[in-house]
Amino acid sequence: MSHPTPIVGASAPSPAARAKTPRRLFSTLEGVFNEEVFFLILCVFIGIFSGLAVVCFRLAIDWTHLALLGALPQTHSWRLFAVPSLAGLVVAVLVIHVFPGIRGSGVNQTKSALYIFNGFIPFRTAVGKFICSGIAIGSGQSLGPEDPSLQIGASIASALGRQLEISREKLRLMAPVGAAAGLAAAFNAPISAVLFVIEEVIGRWSAGILGSVVLSAVASVVVVRSFLGSEPLFRIPVTTFKRPSELLAYAVLGIVGGLASVAFAKSIGYSRPRLKAFPRWTQYFQPALAGLLIGLIAFLGFPQVMGAGYDSMDQAMHGQYTWKVLAILAVLKILATTLSFVSGTPGGMFAPTLFIGAMLGGAVGDIERIFFPHLTGSTGTYVLVGMGVLFAGFLRAPMTSVFMVLEVSGNYEIIVPVIVANTFSYVVSRGLQTIPIFDLLTRQDGLILPSLEEEREETILRVEDAMLPVPAVILSAQDYVDANFRRVQDSADSTSLVRMSPSGWNIVSREQLQRLFREGKGELTLASVLPARSLPSLYPDLPLDSALRYVNDYPLIPVVNRADSNRLEGVVTRESVFEKYGSRPAIAVPSET
Amino acid sequence: MDEVYYLNRKRRPEVSHFCADRDGAWGHPNDIVIRDMSWKVPKLIPRSAPVILVVLTLAAATGFAAVSHLVTRYTANQQARGRKLYALGLEYARDARYDDAIAAFRAALTCDPTNSQYQLSLARALRDSNDPQRLDEAESYLLALWQRTPQDAAVNLALARVSAHRGSIEDATRYYHNAMYGVWNSDPDGNRNRARIELIQFLLKENARAQADSELIALAAALPPDPSAHLQAAQLFEQGQDYAGALARYQEVLRLDPEDSAALAGAGETAYHSGNYTMAQRYLRSAVNANPADSQSRQLLASTDLILRANPFQSHISDAERNRRITAALNQAEDRLTACAQSAGIDLNGAANPAGSPLPALQARWLAAKQNLKSLRSPGETDLPDAIMDLVLQIEQQTAATCGPPQGLDLALLLISQKREAAGQ
Repeated sequence: MSHPTPIVGASAPSPAARAKTPRRLFSTLEGVFNEEVFFLILCVFIGIFSGLAVVCFRLAIDWTHLALLGALPQTHSWRLFAVPSLAGLVVAVLVIHVFPGIRGSGVNQTKSALYIFNGFIPFRTAVGKFICSGIAIGSGQSLGPEDPSLQIGASIASALGRQLEISREKLRLMAPVGAAAGLAAAFNAPISAVLFVIEEVIGRWSAGILGSVVLSAVASVVVVRSFLGSEPLFRIPVTTFKRPSELLAYAVLGIVGGLASVAFAKSIGYSRPRLKAFPRWTQYFQPALAGLLIGLIAFLGFPQVMGAGYDSMDQAMHGQYTWKVLAILAVLKILATTLSFVSGTPGGMFAPTLFIGAMLGGAVGDIERIFFPHLTGSTGTYVLVGMGVLFAGFLRAPMTSVFMVLEVSGNYEIIVPVIVANTFSYVVSRGLQTIPIFDLLTRQDGLILPSLEEEREETILRVEDAMLPVPAVILSAQDYVDANFRRVQDSADSTSLVRMSPSGWNIVSREQLQRLFREGKGELTLASVLPARSLPSLYPDLPLDSALRYVNDYPLIPVVNRADSNRLEGVVTRESVFEKYGSRPAIAVPSET
Repeated sequence: MDEVYYLNRKRRPEVSHFCADRDGAWGHPNDIVIRDMSWKVPKLIPRSAPVILVVLTLAAATGFAAVSHLVTRYTANQQARGRKLYALGLEYARDARYDDAIAAFRAALTCDPTNSQYQLSLARALRDSNDPQRLDEAESYLLALWQRTPQDAAVNLALARVSAHRGSIEDATRYYHNAMYGVWNSDPDGNRNRARIELIQFLLKENARAQADSELIALAAALPPDPSAHLQAAQLFEQGQDYAGALARYQEVLRLDPEDSAALAGAGETAYHSGNYTMAQRYLRSAVNANPADSQSRQLLASTDLILRANPFQSHISDAERNRRITAALNQAEDRLTACAQSAGIDLNGAANPAGSPLPALQARWLAAKQNLKSLRSPGETDLPDAIMDLVLQIEQQTAATCGPPQGLDLALLLISQKREAAGQ
């Protein structure tokens, strides 16, 4: 593969050439834009283009919904059956024959682009995702527009990067940058989008990309707000948290949410590979069948499960449903979303997750208030906390879940209940479902991509783990060679550390000292005869990986105190480092797929 | 594997669709079928940073213009659809079909989510649907509107009504006041008065008499020279049992329109309740003349006539007439006492007196008073009329308590006695 030449920076024209060209201004600008600066500017443009695309995507979904299902929702209408079924058929044909890369939510595809395909996402994906997700969500499939927006953003970014022939390193970063822009635009919540992309797409904390992701996310949100206004997704009711004892109620919600998350994830994890194992011709009918069943649920009196369901969440937030209806809606939404998702219909799981969490939160809150009438949290408070609970439990993005609730509600008063409930949900979900849903899906597809959850759990080896005690003999560079030679003669170590003056360390072997002594340099100080090199030193808290750079070059590396570099804490050797790595168990790959 | 751009060959190699660079260097060995599915787009942008930025800026500007046009058209369509749904919702709301109205307003709001009129109407429909669960949502919509335009009188009025539904006097009063001093799009004075009247009605309903009185005073001070406004105010004064205030308002109405039968009836009734029977008779007579179908005024007039004929303390009557009236009152009281005792199974002579009824004792006092009737003519017995009428009052009160409210002359005597007692206090 040929490496593309960076378009700027490296190829800046020389001053002489600049003087010759008539386009002096442009030439001057060429020198100003190094690749880093150019990349940051490009991120802003990615945000703008993603924002524009997401605005169109949202209009497309709304228009499809109005055109197919009508403005006034009417239960017991034939449309509820016919529309999602027929739309499912159309989507299946498009997905199989025209846009084969657009099944699923889009999060894993973006992550794969980053880690496997050097940031390459075909532009066809953006077009296909736009059309097919628009039809699917607009026709009432139980999916959300956020994940497709994320993939559309990533696809636009990737296409732009390829078109501009930016370096491969930067092209890899384009996918998460575009993903953050798309998600931020869809969700109108830039902080949550950035955190989600870090937690789920990038899968590891990387300071290098944070600035670019934030820039694109903010730019896209500004664009979306300029067209669609800054109205929040929900009308947030008065939310209160008065007594710390009520945290117990939120903890219960967290546990129930964790169990629901596991049920949701298991249902998808179980049925997806089984549906994919059916003969290929059945794939034409799977989305249609899913649409038919969702239509049946709607026909029977629960049209709220169709589509993203933000209106229903809004109503739940304002106590429009009894706890029984809320609980039924949560269960039905799990069923409907599972059907839609495993059938291969393109669409996201963000909105359904929020929906299930909202309904579950409302139901649990109402039930708790029946038994404990003194609880002061309103239904709206429980609905909001419930959203975060499912987010933390199902998507396993704990940080995003907290910030998402805060960003959506704009109310920091409920941060403690949110954190408590999300923690319980996360812990329960982790305990019962080892692999997060997105990782599970990628493993079902035969991929193993990095995960922030795994990284969080990974035990990091540090220098102190391989550190040996301070050697009995430490030579001084100010002493004479013969004095130092006498000291090492009885030492078991063949190499000794030498304390340099005024600071620094060096090493010398017994053989070196013996040779110097024989050469008649015994009356000289050790400092005067040792080569003028400074031995690298390590700190105990550094990752052990940092020692690997030196262990082949130096037989002994001092480990010093950070507050006083002359104070020796211990030493590491090649053997001690490798022994530590060798004794470490291999990284376990969970067997659940 | 068709969701991540490559496919496990063992499963379905034929639907693979990804995608590698031209060297085919990407992807996973063996399991991955690599096929470039990207559209071949010629490189359009020159490799110069300033040119690229100019091109991107132009592209962004073009995109903005195109999306702006799209959004404008879409918004216009949506707004038109929203207007239709809103009109439908208003129709439903007029017919008190609140569930349908709510659905229509919600649909209108999905077409035009920021339209405050739709939000206000939805909030009103939610509030008027008499479903306590919907009050929260109504309040939420209204509070969102209020945060945007806290001076909007219509929003404040709607919020006041939500608070009134909840029985929250403090909140309702605050929002009603906001509505009164807020900005009205049309007829500000009329709307302000109507808001105050609504507040007074709410306060009276909640029995917050003191607050209602202060609002009534403010209302009276700001009334326009409109008979109907004064009439409504007078009715509120009357409802608040401020008969003097009510009479003043009725008189103001009559000053503006002397033939107003409702004002005549109201003034008569108010004068009647305040014990000014002469004035009541005058107004009620005029009211009956103006509206012969007004049976309530006719009944009150009959009662007033009876009171005026039976009242021994009426001014400008002779001593003989006063004594006659006292005698008639005492005889009427005796009749009432006897009839009541019979119906209640009480022996006035003391043989059967269930639960220690006071009626036999009153009978004994009546007999003693009867003996004193002839002393009425004596000039030294100045306290005797009062003593006899006190006895009459006690008999009427006790019989009312034992046998139910009196009718006709007994009622007249009771009212006369009560008025006299009130005047004495």
